[in-house]
Amino acid sequence: MILQAILVGLVGALGCFDYQLGTLYMFRPIVMCPLVGLVLGDLQTGLAVGASLELLFMGSISIGAYVPPNETIGGVLSCAFAISLHQGTEAAIALAMPIAVLSLALGNLTAPIWPFFVDKADTCAKNGNLKGIYAVHLGIGLYGCLEYFVLCGGAFLLGVEAVQGILDWIPDFVLNGFGVAANILPAMGFAMLGRLVITKKLVPFYFLGFVICAYMGVPVLGVAIIAIIIGIEKFDLLGGAVDAPSTSLALEGDDDDDF
Amino acid sequence: MTSDTELEVKPEETQEESVITKKDLFRSSLNLGSLGMEFSWTYYKQMNLAFCLMVAKMLRKIYRNDEEGYRAALERHLAFFNITVQFAPFVGGVAISMEERIAKGEIEPERVNDVKAALMGPLSGIGDSIFLAVIRVIAAAVGIALCEAGNPFGPIAFLLIYNIPGFWLRIWGVQKGYELGVGFLDQAANGGFMAKAMTAVSIVGIMVVGAMSVDMFWATIPIEIGVGEEMTTIQEILDGIMPGILGMAAFWIYYWLLSKKISPNWLIIWTMVLGVVGAFFGFLA
Repeated sequence: MILQAILVGLVGALGCFDYQLGTLYMFRPIVMCPLVGLVLGDLQTGLAVGASLELLFMGSISIGAYVPPNETIGGVLSCAFAISLHQGTEAAIALAMPIAVLSLALGNLTAPIWPFFVDKADTCAKNGNLKGIYAVHLGIGLYGCLEYFVLCGGAFLLGVEAVQGILDWIPDFVLNGFGVAANILPAMGFAMLGRLVITKKLVPFYFLGFVICAYMGVPVLGVAIIAIIIGIEKFDLLGGAVDAPSTSLALEGDDDDDF
Repeated sequence: MTSDTELEVKPEETQEESVITKKDLFRSSLNLGSLGMEFSWTYYKQMNLAFCLMVAKMLRKIYRNDEEGYRAALERHLAFFNITVQFAPFVGGVAISMEERIAKGEIEPERVNDVKAALMGPLSGIGDSIFLAVIRVIAAAVGIALCEAGNPFGPIAFLLIYNIPGFWLRIWGVQKGYELGVGFLDQAANGGFMAKAMTAVSIVGIMVVGAMSVDMFWATIPIEIGVGEEMTTIQEILDGIMPGILGMAAFWIYYWLLSKKISPNWLIIWTMVLGVVGAFFGFLA
């Protein structure tokens, strides 16, 4: 059990260390949950939970001033609980959002102390002490990894029974309801992304994408490729619009003469 | 090693003397600072530490005979910084080309942070649209489909699709930024290129979002109406009118609520309440 808790903690810590590796998005549930599944010996559940939670947290991205619930800790813990309690995806979905919101609040507890260290880096710069700046950077980052390790590993170690109790106590229709909510919430994620890109003039393109997918069954990647072509054509981003058509027109003309 | 490359590159690259080689720039696009932009992120100055570390080695080269200048430059680049991470090396390239001119006394030192600040907004706008609204969503769509089929390649596909464009942008961006230097801002503004590129990216983002609101929405309304042979559900009627209509309605309702500045966290909570009520009375599934 302790070994499992350490492994779950390490998966969480890896999620945080991802921010040093180039923000690869390993910290998303779609990567974290299968890893949790791997260390707990149930990869299939990990994959299924990862897919569901990735959608649930689709809108969980920091845009502007919005700091989203912590999808990493939410994903790791809810998946770990679901697997160790032999529960399905529904249980993971029910647990994920509350855990994620709680972790966001916990993470904010240390926020007030960082400005002190960030200002220390200024002093290091004044003294030409580059190593000092490295130390502040790594210190803040590694503290985060430690926090994720302790939260994920600790909560898993201490929380299994409590979570079992909560799941036993929650009536079935509530769990089903959370499942229904998880089916609706991706729409909120897309609406948040929509807020990022939609302008009044461009609204028709929403319906174009919708119709291509709904009526023609083109998958998302196909819709994206069509959209890229529209974008390139509309703004002549490749250039040479003047040359290309005239050449092809000339060629067509030649063909016609031959007939 | 470095000095060899320097000798090779120098004659063809610039007529003026430049100590920064393509190799220096390339390395800076993949160093601890560049890749760790969000590792030491704080509410206070956000990515300032990582930006400074990204350019520190090149600053040392530029100010190799000027200890005071080096220290001042380090401190300069510890100013507040925030951007879509994949664009950070581009801004680093712009900053370094400006620092070379600052070292020669051609421009005021403060100018470099003005330019960085001016780049943050537009590049983050375009970067968030490209990476969060388009590439991430496509990567997630592919990855989720594989994961649901129980294929362990799902997470790997997600990571590859999301990251390959990002790393390409980092490596290309730092060279391009250095090449364009401070002239970039005027050039981009004059040609209206930024506005065009932003609109093109937005079109892709919007169409992807439109497609996803059909593809990735599963809630249904299973209320039955009629009896015997005539029996049907509200969902079947809705699908008859237009497939995916419920997902589209949900999308625009959320869109409208978000435009009213309602916090997404509240919307999550209310959605869960709605789900529970719907499941209890059986009008949602």
